[in-house]
Amino acid sequence: MSRRKHNRVEEESDINITPMLDIVFIMLIFFIVTTSFIKETGIDPQRPTAQTAASKPRGNILIGVDVNGFIWINKRRVEINQVRQLVEDAVNENPESSAIVIADEGSATGVVIQVMDQVQLGGVVDIAVAAEPEST
Amino acid sequence: MRRKHRESDESIINITPMLDIVFIMLIFFIVTTSFVKEFAVDMSRPSNEPPKKEKLSDVIFVRIDDIGQIYVRDRLTDIRAVRANIVSGLAQKPDASVVVAAARDADVGILVRVVDQARVAGAEQVSLVALSE
Repeated sequence: MSRRKHNRVEEESDINITPMLDIVFIMLIFFIVTTSFIKETGIDPQRPTAQTAASKPRGNILIGVDVNGFIWINKRRVEINQVRQLVEDAVNENPESSAIVIADEGSATGVVIQVMDQVQLGGVVDIAVAAEPEST
Repeated sequence: MRRKHRESDESIINITPMLDIVFIMLIFFIVTTSFVKEFAVDMSRPSNEPPKKEKLSDVIFVRIDDIGQIYVRDRLTDIRAVRANIVSGLAQKPDASVVVAAARDADVGILVRVVDQARVAGAEQVSLVALSE
């Protein structure tokens, strides 16, 4: 009697976890590969609309310019002369960085062009300006 | 009998600590992953290399002044007519490039819309310059 009971308990407790492990490893690899540590700007400006706006899934340097011309990177307000250093740091972490300038519709062009210049000096060639896709 | 028991003991590797670590890594990456959902318009800036000499006649020059008025080839143009003007300019010179010059105080919205319209019109090279007074 006692022997049978022991045997049954042993059988039940032996769950095959191999399929679960497979799935967990695949999920782990997926998340490791897709993680790219984006630095949020911390602001949500009114983006201009554009018909040629395309999705930019690889953009990892996000620079916000608000309506008053202030520049936001990584939820902090920065000055124009700090932009280059921050971009260089991001390039050191990930050499294939691309930048997206998220500028408010009403912000001044001068600031945005200055920001784009600094980003380019920091070593990023692929620069885009965020826009709302417009249905034609 | 005894030997057999030992062998079966050795063949079972305890994977529980590894599983703990794998799960913690999985949760970490799930929590830190955030996907970019930005839509954007490409803007090429003239590089720092010395600019290649372009004849002014090979360029469709679009100027945006500081109150947001658009001049295509020095003619005041409405935003809705920018595309048609660039299309006709490209029809005359198919390999002309479009240069958009914006005043410092012009709104970014207008600049983006002009670049967008130039792209829609079929210009391959749209470059951006700052207008210095």
